[in-house]
Amino acid sequence: MTELKADRLKSMPRSGLEKLLSLLTKKGFRLLGPTVSNGAIVIGDIATTADLPVGWTDRQAPGSYRLQKTGDNRAFDFVVGPHAWKQYLFPARETLHRATFDKAAGLWRQSDDNAVATAFIGARACDLAAMAIQDRVFIGGEYIDRGYHNRRQASFIVAVNCLRAGDLCFCDSMGTGPEVKSGFDICLTEFDDTFLVQAGSRRGEKVVAQLPIEPATENQCDDMMAGLAQCRQQMGRHLETENLEGLLFANLEHPQWDNVAERCLACGNCTMVCPTCFCYSVDETADLGVAPPQRERSWDSCFSQQHSQVNGASFQPAVKDRYRQWLTHKLGAWKSQFGTSGCVGCGRCIAWCPVGIDLTEEVAAIGVGAAPPVPMPEHRPIAVKGADSSTAPLFATTKVSVTDVVAEAPEVKTLVLNMPADYHYQPGQFNMLSLPGIGEVPISLSGNSEGAVEHTIRSVGNVTAALSALKFGATLDIRGPYGSAWPMAQTRDRPVTVVAGGIGLAPLRGVMRSLANEDRDNDTEWVRLIYGARRADALLFTRELKQWQQNPALRVAVTVDQSTRDWTGNVGTVITLLRRKDIPVNGLYFVCGPEVMMLAVVRLLREAQVPPQNIYLSMERNMKCAAGHCGRCQYGPYFICKDGPVFSYDRLAFLFGKQGF
Amino acid sequence: MVVRNKAARPRVGVFKFASCDGCQLTLLNCEDELLLLAGKIDIVHFPEGASPARPDGPFDLAIVEGSVSTPEQLREVRHIRSRSRVLVTLGACASSGGIQALRNFANHDEFRKAVYARPEYIASLATSTPVSHHVPVDFELRGCPIDKNQLLELISAYLRGRSPAIKNESVCFECKRRGTVCVVVADNTPCLGPVTHAGCGAICPAFRRGCYGCFGPREAAATESLAAHMKNIGKSEQEILRSFRLFTAGAPAFEDESRRHE
Repeated sequence: MTELKADRLKSMPRSGLEKLLSLLTKKGFRLLGPTVSNGAIVIGDIATTADLPVGWTDRQAPGSYRLQKTGDNRAFDFVVGPHAWKQYLFPARETLHRATFDKAAGLWRQSDDNAVATAFIGARACDLAAMAIQDRVFIGGEYIDRGYHNRRQASFIVAVNCLRAGDLCFCDSMGTGPEVKSGFDICLTEFDDTFLVQAGSRRGEKVVAQLPIEPATENQCDDMMAGLAQCRQQMGRHLETENLEGLLFANLEHPQWDNVAERCLACGNCTMVCPTCFCYSVDETADLGVAPPQRERSWDSCFSQQHSQVNGASFQPAVKDRYRQWLTHKLGAWKSQFGTSGCVGCGRCIAWCPVGIDLTEEVAAIGVGAAPPVPMPEHRPIAVKGADSSTAPLFATTKVSVTDVVAEAPEVKTLVLNMPADYHYQPGQFNMLSLPGIGEVPISLSGNSEGAVEHTIRSVGNVTAALSALKFGATLDIRGPYGSAWPMAQTRDRPVTVVAGGIGLAPLRGVMRSLANEDRDNDTEWVRLIYGARRADALLFTRELKQWQQNPALRVAVTVDQSTRDWTGNVGTVITLLRRKDIPVNGLYFVCGPEVMMLAVVRLLREAQVPPQNIYLSMERNMKCAAGHCGRCQYGPYFICKDGPVFSYDRLAFLFGKQGF
Repeated sequence: MVVRNKAARPRVGVFKFASCDGCQLTLLNCEDELLLLAGKIDIVHFPEGASPARPDGPFDLAIVEGSVSTPEQLREVRHIRSRSRVLVTLGACASSGGIQALRNFANHDEFRKAVYARPEYIASLATSTPVSHHVPVDFELRGCPIDKNQLLELISAYLRGRSPAIKNESVCFECKRRGTVCVVVADNTPCLGPVTHAGCGAICPAFRRGCYGCFGPREAAATESLAAHMKNIGKSEQEILRSFRLFTAGAPAFEDESRRHE
């Protein structure tokens, strides 16, 4: 609507609104719209214009929201309230149904395939921008969230132009409003006695054609443009977005983070009211064994402990870590991930923060005395498959059975699983393994043999304990493979060093097996493994280690932190061992182990002038969906599950080793 | 929690110490699920709901309500622990000392003298303390009283051998998930939701009342910031003290905050 075409703009008397609602009801839409409830304008089921907040407006300030009478009869003379449309497109709680492949029909079926046709009445420009952002998250990548997709398809959007801005609005700064430009079926602009009406889609046109309309006059068009211009002038907040992502990541130790951490309650309200926040958790739900076990997802937030928790420990234990995660993601990392800011300037997080923390003020404060921006990774758009009936739903699993179990070390077992013939993976990738009623965990692939794949599992929680207890013939559910792989193509014509700590050898075993079988020049393209474990009995794959040690093409050094009576080899960490070896700068280095070990290895390699792009690390964070949707494995601009787990160090250098990420 | 032996129906004992019985009654209030539950577990000791009492177990799962308030309870809790594979506690009393932990802030002897004609007959400890102060606890179910669905989830998870899907997030998470309008922001009502452990389903704010913290502090409870906010909206030091010193007064985060306003 930027270039206003008066012929496309219609004028409708106020009474036409009632007609619009009844038309949509007759077409079978559930109507959702603004309505007054419990001291605020919320989104709820509506039937007629009597349910709309006619004659009401809102006054907002940081941590404060009040309703006020306007004295006129406008139905949309307010800005956004505590609710966002995401609660209908991405419900706060949702049962994830098991997907099954219907062979006869050749498509995947899910029991939540049928969404209710719903009309969203009164969505604002910032709301539409937020929907477009969540589209990029849930249906804009390789994996499609079928439930979200179906609800989005089933929605009919009646948008409203804002002619008044609130004290917390800054859509103008974010380029998302106040003018509705796309993503709507019908757009309304409200005046005292009339609405200006514009159709934004074919189905919108069909509805508009049935309304009591006449062409808009030039005066009416001018009024609308003047109203929008006035709204831009009224914006109560402003955010400087120039280079913001680089600025935030360049200033991760700015004193303002400590300042805000003293006020922040880590209550999570900002993320819950945010129309773009998408993090969720997945849990098995209460069942006493009658109904099949179900999995439920619910809104999570980077302000919860479980969000960043892996093996019982949180990567973001402090309030400061959590606020910084939120703001650097929303206004910074989001851009690398999705090609857009995560903020639409609606101001909800400012109003609904119980202690009134204002992100625009926090950003301004961080800008004072700030270090210059760091370059951030470019957004890499991927070819979108689209959600057709052949797309496998995100959580669809395959049932596989255990063909062998190998006890590797105390608490560590390797499960050998028979896989479908068309299953292919590359070393470094992982699968999601699950047991109904118990849970799902990401486990890296530790090899394959004769059509079966291997997973080496350390028993650290209930799911891994239950997986470790599986016997020959037992079945489990699997989906994958996911994530990035070790760059095997780069191992040609250069020496390769593999550094592994403890269970970190599992994702590297495929690399060793592959290199061990290659015909390589032992002077210029030697292969070296440096492997350490706490004690001799914690060493994995001991029989294979011996074979590698006897293989003249491989240089294998093994060390243990603690010596035991029967141990005659090296004692000390992999760092001690690595320090004694020559470190060629043209060599390729694959590193996997505890983060503190990887940190020390990287430091040593960098001191030896190894360029960062020659070092590869395998990272671990809380992975739950494996598709970059649930948001829990974020690491700065990356999702470990889809951008990783294997990264070249040059991509991580600006963040690696920083506490709280 | 320890994965149970799946061979037989697990033997369950239900015990209570200093408490009002409301939490263990939740077990009997599981009306629709009660028969199903009875088929899955073997309740061998539950004085509130069944006789005879067999307090010596042994138990696969001990469910304990109430705080440790007398020397006798101190002995008993150790005995139960020694006879149980897994021990979980129910409610605010067992996890923080309960409302009776208000005596921890006062002189116990003076209380006894004021209440009882013959205080020398009263054998009670100077403090009311959570079970976890005396024996290892495998899981604490919060609340005054506990939530029925969380109890069922705890037992289901135990039977399945999984971690219970019980979150330690703030009440605000549940409040927002159910779409409740924030009473702090819209009504200026003091609310402990931001610092309180979730689990109740955010009942009070749904009725336009502030949360009074009956599930106790969440992890990372930013009580100082919330207290500062209460002061800003005009609450007196005494009112702030009292809001943190209620059913879970003995929980460290709330105790520390209330002492800051003495």
